[in-house]
Amino acid sequence: MKRIIPLFVATLTSFFVLAGLIWPVSLGGYLNIVLDWAIIVGAMALLVAIAHLFLAQWRKIARGNRSSFYSLVFVIVFLLSLGGGLVMGVDDPEYRLWISSIQKPLEVSLLGLAAVVMAGAGVQFYRTRGWSPLTVAFGVSALVFLVIDLGFLQVLNSPPVNAIIKTLQMLPLIGARGLLIGMSFGALIVALKALTGEGVGND
Amino acid sequence: MSADILLGLVGLILTLMVFSYIFGDNLFFRVALTILAAVSAGYTAAVLITKVIIPLLIHPLGATRGAALLWMVFPLLLAVLVGLMIFPRLSKLGKIPLSFLVGVFAALTIFGVVRGTLTPQLLAVINRFSPELLQNAGLPDWARIVWAVMVLLGVIAVLLAYQHYTHKRKADEAHASLLDGVGSIGQIFVGITLGATFVMIFSTALVALISRVVWIKDFLAGLL
Repeated sequence: MKRIIPLFVATLTSFFVLAGLIWPVSLGGYLNIVLDWAIIVGAMALLVAIAHLFLAQWRKIARGNRSSFYSLVFVIVFLLSLGGGLVMGVDDPEYRLWISSIQKPLEVSLLGLAAVVMAGAGVQFYRTRGWSPLTVAFGVSALVFLVIDLGFLQVLNSPPVNAIIKTLQMLPLIGARGLLIGMSFGALIVALKALTGEGVGND
Repeated sequence: MSADILLGLVGLILTLMVFSYIFGDNLFFRVALTILAAVSAGYTAAVLITKVIIPLLIHPLGATRGAALLWMVFPLLLAVLVGLMIFPRLSKLGKIPLSFLVGVFAALTIFGVVRGTLTPQLLAVINRFSPELLQNAGLPDWARIVWAVMVLLGVIAVLLAYQHYTHKRKADEAHASLLDGVGSIGQIFVGITLGATFVMIFSTALVALISRVVWIKDFLAGLL
């Protein structure tokens, strides 16, 4: 019984949403209402997750753990960020300037750092996976596309070279299509499993 | 000290804290990550409260009268049940609103994947065999025919590579060797795609690294 009620709610909701998407003229108005409800519940669930994160850090400070210094930094910065947004408003230019002045350098620097880490990860990939058609194709493809991206070959302005580059640049599309179709089937299976009860309401 | 210089100094310190990871995992890097997580969480919470909860739930409750108010009771009830999940003892009450959410997202995923990804991708493979595309001045265009066949076989090989990973242990020997062969071709196509994607992400990361170093140089030059 514990499992049947959540499953019933999930299945009923999904059939209604699917019906609304398939027959937008008859059910479109009601679909918008249900989607608004989903936005509210989703936002609330995200707020609860953030509250759990905050409380976990708060408990670490209270216990005086070794990592409580990071928790203290988290709590102070979180409260300043949240308080600023609530008092000044999230659209306030000064608040946005402060938030972006902290987020932007951190995000861009982390992306820059990723270049250094990725160079090492590329080598690590061979150590962990060994030699296989996948790893060899990966290495050759990475080298070829690095050379193409440098742009030196395009400077030659030779029609045969340009034709080869154009053909090479289309090769990744084949794998990408296969991967996208495979992932779509995977997503469909996960969604259908959720509707048939696997993963909903499990204790 | 002007606000621009102050914000620039904050940016400089945070950048150096992140780059300190080059010398190994350390306190400064961890503090930088903690700040990023805290600012993002605080900002997200502020946006959710001021842009979703207040305008979609609280304001309509005050402004609506009569039968329309009943429409607002249901999301309010669901939101309260989710909110009670903060307390571990009452977390089970959140199952019903979360099931509602799972139902909505499952339906949107099924519809979105079928209409937005699966159908266009399958059509992109099949449409290459359209007679208009495979002919040039009434004669067969062999280059396009070869390419269309290669795309079709490549996509099938990639899909069989998935199958190969899933059923590797179950398949009998003859079946397994056939799957191995086709799966290897699929792996080559996946490898090519991953290699190209790796280079794309690596180039973007490299540009970000260079832009950050140039920004530090310019900021310090402006200070001196």
